[in-house]
Amino acid sequence: MAHPTDVSTTALAGLRADLRAWLAVNRPADWRACATHAEFAASQRDWFRKLVEAGYAIPHWPAEWPGGGRSLAEQKVIYEELARADAPRLLLSFVSTYHAFATLHECGNAEQKARYLPGILRGETWCQGFSEPGAGSDLAAVRTRAERRGDVYAVNGQKVWSTMAQYADRCLLLARTASEGAKQAGLTYFLLDMTAPGVTVRPIHQIQGDEEFAEIFLDNVEIPVTERIGAEGDGWAVAQATLSSERGLTLMELGYRMRGALDRLAALIGETGRTGDAGVQRDFGALTGQVDAVCALADQFLDRRMTGQEQVGDASVVKNAYSRALRAYAALGVRLGGIAAQRREPITYGDLNSGNWMADFMNSYAWTIAGGSEEIQRNIIAERMLGMPREPKGWTAP
Amino acid sequence: MMISREELRDSARKGLGSDGLAPDPVASWDRLVDMGWFALAVPEELGGLGLGAEALAAVHVELGRALVPGAAIAQMAAIEVLCAAPDFADRAALIPAAVAGERIGLSLDAPGRPATGCVIDADQVRQLLLVSPQRIALAPVLGATMVPTWDETRRLGDVAIGAETVIAAGDAARGLYDLATTRVLLALAADAVGGAAAALAMTVDYLKTRRQFDRPLALFQALKHRVADCQIALVAAEALLWSRAAAPLTVAMAGALKARATTMFRDVAEEAVQLHGGIGLTAEHPCHLFLKRAFLDAALAGDADHWNAVAGQSALALVQPAS
Repeated sequence: MAHPTDVSTTALAGLRADLRAWLAVNRPADWRACATHAEFAASQRDWFRKLVEAGYAIPHWPAEWPGGGRSLAEQKVIYEELARADAPRLLLSFVSTYHAFATLHECGNAEQKARYLPGILRGETWCQGFSEPGAGSDLAAVRTRAERRGDVYAVNGQKVWSTMAQYADRCLLLARTASEGAKQAGLTYFLLDMTAPGVTVRPIHQIQGDEEFAEIFLDNVEIPVTERIGAEGDGWAVAQATLSSERGLTLMELGYRMRGALDRLAALIGETGRTGDAGVQRDFGALTGQVDAVCALADQFLDRRMTGQEQVGDASVVKNAYSRALRAYAALGVRLGGIAAQRREPITYGDLNSGNWMADFMNSYAWTIAGGSEEIQRNIIAERMLGMPREPKGWTAP
Repeated sequence: MMISREELRDSARKGLGSDGLAPDPVASWDRLVDMGWFALAVPEELGGLGLGAEALAAVHVELGRALVPGAAIAQMAAIEVLCAAPDFADRAALIPAAVAGERIGLSLDAPGRPATGCVIDADQVRQLLLVSPQRIALAPVLGATMVPTWDETRRLGDVAIGAETVIAAGDAARGLYDLATTRVLLALAADAVGGAAAALAMTVDYLKTRRQFDRPLALFQALKHRVADCQIALVAAEALLWSRAAAPLTVAMAGALKARATTMFRDVAEEAVQLHGGIGLTAEHPCHLFLKRAFLDAALAGDADHWNAVAGQSALALVQPAS
């Protein structure tokens, strides 16, 4: 079905052809070969620089930025082609170009924008300092304290699950400036320099051997008042701008990548001589249908966004459908891989469908837990989409 | 002619609206005729609306939602096959008669199905269209024996037929078989999506209304998550339905869609009965109608095991063997 957009079909086809030609020459073929996470991070920096130079890194930024001003339809084409070409995903620069950008663009003052946005294009990376050991699904329970002392805030606390924080130059920090009243109202938003005295970052060793997340310890870290976004107490509202910065392209891209990676499962079936096994055919066929449904769902979601028809809960449905299909993909690989899949092989960084089945299986939790767990998404679907009553507040320990 | 999916949906809901769930079989068949739906896929030069798969799916979603009885899926697919078939003696008279509601049974070659068995509304069909990959034939129906079936909205029977007239063979037959099969599978998937949507909406309403422990059941997170799971499966199956309806469809793709949608319908209907509690076990409550229709949808025209295996085979064949 055709949709009214501000870009003609011809222009979209032109963008697609240009990008496809560019990717044929510039796609790094060896991105899966990184032996360490640090090496992977370095390859991500190179890839980001290339995309910035070619004008494909920040299509969602305003038109005054080189490569910016692209419609959602154009952004969709870009991510479709990146997935199709099996180019590396943009992981290291994701928080910078989406979360940091949206936060600065929507809530930052002119000085802050001028100070930080150009740096993002030069490759400065940001991480997100939101979650804490005691504030996961209940994000507003943040306890990291920021105390005003003259021209600075003194910050003490601990952040966790911060993606690639060990490489980050800066951090989007949510901290508590008041403990009275509603817990959301006591939060304030800061831009933290990761090289400031008192900041310690410790990578988290994950179950599959990856180090995608890190902990951040803040010990009397001084943040200048000028690095605060919005007023004291505005932190929760600013955080919403951060969290809604990604417009659904990631799940579409990941769905397409998973569909492409069904070939890995097919190859495994072939290698183990089970192409003719009716049970295996059936399971593979069912998974293919599940993945196709995720792709159709992500496409429909973006179409609705483009035409202003999105409804509350739509994004939660797409996320859950994707995370389950991802788990099912890896689970079938583990099962068909048999004992051979239990031999620990080096992992591939930055690939959710790597064909290292046990690693893929463990990686899939990133999507069922991070960014709002499956359980939180189901609450959203039931309460805001299906109109069921919200959980009553207040509980006292027996 | 251009009629949007939404327009068809709205006109269908308006047409069926006042009849409630599982309306009277005779009245609803007449209504389908009056609304012109049997002419939906008939080309404009033959006096039809010339609409495609998306329109077909839109109509069957609504028929599923209202648990409309009868053999609309078979009738519409049979009409489409006749329209696409090479000309034969009775064709010019047969198509308008079928569009006007005269019943044609469809015997679509599917695993485990006898050619003259499992005909919906068998005691009312005058002719049987036999569709297999090798051969398309038409035969007069001489008599029928109805078979009691669990689904109370579709009645099945065995027919006795007279001499068959072969309409197509070879490649022509294969093309018509593919057409009939993709259409039936798509329509069954649509029926399942509509039925599941209605069953889920009914269940959510019930949970909001039914009170135990001084609160509505809808307040319990354990139950919220179960209906949320139904919603996720339903919305995903529906997205797949519309994307498949909008593009050229192979039999394997239609089969994978049918497997996914009917399995989802069965799961949702199963949850609907459980979440309604005791009332869901009573014949006066419509829960069981959804459950029974879901199971028949799952069994008609090849089950999920069959179509998932076909889809898997086809996907595996598309992958080049590793060198």
